[in-house]
Amino acid sequence: MNGFGGTIVRINLETGGIKRTPTPEKFAREWMGARGFVAKTIYDEVPRDADPLGPENILIMAPGVLTGTFAPAGSKIGFGCISPATNGHADSNMGGHLGAEMKYAGYDMVVFERISPEPVYLYIDDDTIELRSASDYWGMGSLDLEKRMKDDLGEDFQIATIGPAGENGVVFSCITHDFGRQAGRCGVGAVMGSKKLKAIAIRGSKSLPVHDLPTLTKSTCDIIQRTKTHPLMEPWQKYGTALFVGWSNDHGCFPSRNFQTTYHEGWEGISGEKLAEEILVTHKACFGCWINCGKYSRAHIPGKPDVYVEGPEYETIALCGGSCGMTNIHDVAYANYLCDNLGLDTMSGGNTIGFAMECYEKGIITKDDLEGHELRWGNIDDFENIIRMIADRRGIGEVLSYGTKGAAERLGQGTLAFAHQAKGMEFSGYDTRWYSAQLLSYCTSDIGAHHNRSWAITADIQIGQDTPEGKAEVVIYLQHIRPLFDTWCCCRLFWGEVDVTAEEHVDTIRYITGWDVTLEECMKISEKIWNLTRSHYLERNGGPGRRFDVAPARQLEEKVPSGPAEGHRVGIENFEYMLDDYYYNRGWDKNGNPTREVLEILGIPYVADNLEKAGLLGEPFEDGVPEVRGRRLKPKAM
Amino acid sequence: MIVYLRSGGKLHELLKPDVDQYTRRVETDEGATLVEILGELGIPLAMVAFAFVAGKVQKLGYVPSEGDVITIQSPVAGG
Repeated sequence: MNGFGGTIVRINLETGGIKRTPTPEKFAREWMGARGFVAKTIYDEVPRDADPLGPENILIMAPGVLTGTFAPAGSKIGFGCISPATNGHADSNMGGHLGAEMKYAGYDMVVFERISPEPVYLYIDDDTIELRSASDYWGMGSLDLEKRMKDDLGEDFQIATIGPAGENGVVFSCITHDFGRQAGRCGVGAVMGSKKLKAIAIRGSKSLPVHDLPTLTKSTCDIIQRTKTHPLMEPWQKYGTALFVGWSNDHGCFPSRNFQTTYHEGWEGISGEKLAEEILVTHKACFGCWINCGKYSRAHIPGKPDVYVEGPEYETIALCGGSCGMTNIHDVAYANYLCDNLGLDTMSGGNTIGFAMECYEKGIITKDDLEGHELRWGNIDDFENIIRMIADRRGIGEVLSYGTKGAAERLGQGTLAFAHQAKGMEFSGYDTRWYSAQLLSYCTSDIGAHHNRSWAITADIQIGQDTPEGKAEVVIYLQHIRPLFDTWCCCRLFWGEVDVTAEEHVDTIRYITGWDVTLEECMKISEKIWNLTRSHYLERNGGPGRRFDVAPARQLEEKVPSGPAEGHRVGIENFEYMLDDYYYNRGWDKNGNPTREVLEILGIPYVADNLEKAGLLGEPFEDGVPEVRGRRLKPKAM
Repeated sequence: MIVYLRSGGKLHELLKPDVDQYTRRVETDEGATLVEILGELGIPLAMVAFAFVAGKVQKLGYVPSEGDVITIQSPVAGG
């Protein structure tokens, strides 16, 4: 099959059994890879009552149709499972080089089943697949281990690791690769740790079969030539995503002190300009990318060892920086390093520590809980103490290891109101009180609050920041187009920033696979995946769906107290209006449950059957599915 | 005075390039700030995150000189 490695591997970690089967072309065409492969496989295979950290959950890694090809930055690989943070479908992807290497070894998906009796790592060297002992590696930091394994196995192996947090089951643990690329969200690292799988090492030397190499080569060369001179290339290469800290702050969406306000005093000290000026060592790129948006940095803090880290990127600056009250870029880079090496998502990690800092400020967490330490805004020593407690699940760190929602449920005292999460996963680095479409995006997301599912900030600006009208249709469009790149497995930056169109990406898929595929078909696949993961969430957690699309009280009820967004809030009425509009536009019923008509249109009638059996199928519309369902309302700017 | 504004991505449609695919030639008064120039073109200021001139980031209060080539960048989701 063109464009794919050709083999799916199943590994029973309990018995050590390894089974290879050919990748069915029908499966590949219908689900395209990564996010699609994950969604379909975990829906079909994981029992609805399986404990996310138990033996019945599975962990999947899968590149996509564009991984390892000539597509711009076809670098991505997806990981998936049932999330211990949300108890729903999880998928999280990373750039770097692992995905391409896996396809060059000949594999499209690896499914890890059950739990190993001892710590192991997966070793793949083309046709050789082995589980090897990781007893010597257990307990090591993610970054330290990657270096060690490259020393042990060879520089040409691509390595993915978990840190101590993943071993210990912290629900926002990540999987790390390439010294700073993470499958960061949904707690995929905790699931990997629960299986006693410490690392993955892959070396591949095969080539990918391609349908039309001359046309693919010409098309790619044209894209390279065109984008090399694109005006936005230079700023991206020089600064990366960190440069948007200033804008976010100026426009009232930058989280400061656990989202207490949205303008961060001292932001200049953690800006992209400051990063480039003070800590940048070199630029770094993923496989097949010529933007080089990655920034490799050195943090220097007197009294601490100098550390090197990829980043910090915008989200890390917003959440480990602004939300934790930091004003020094060295401190943020050091916090980034701590998260990376301990194996924690910087976004949920920073968000959770900001939450804990507010609890400390309010006297809900005390020095007694912190082994005698404090937990002050902007204090890197306090940050280091608490993040190590979380990774080890010591004392109050055990409570916080469940993330903001889990911690708030355990702490009580009204803390849920300022836990910035949806469905158990923490907000990305944008306050939404002046950006209602972004709040709708977070709260309706299938995996919990994550900007990569739908980033609607600029759509909010174009439509009108305070109005709830017209938001739902745009959010749905974004929820289909943005995760499509996680299905194809290439970076969104070429599409969003340097004008490589979605249609051009589809052309590339055609040249590679020979499939007569269209963007419309891909959008329908994306919508199908969204309905599948939504239904899966309901089948696991009950219904109605509306019960789970809930916003934090602070975002709904509290007005922003200062800065450019002062006085703004979304308000319950506006939020409920947007939810009604959203369900209608999706063709779901008013309770937020998918309807049989929509699931059948999308080619997944068995999902309707399952929902019906569980009493969760949406009520049918009297006059059929609303005409607006599936309409692609593309905002001028995304 | 003539300056050149360049962009792509989200701002492409708002900028309406006329010199080449990414560039718009703008005639403006000497001393005008970028805020004023963008305002005259009808580009919402909130849609411009920063300007980039001769390899350096500039805020929107920047006062261009004759012949400046100014790249403008829209806000973007972080990584």
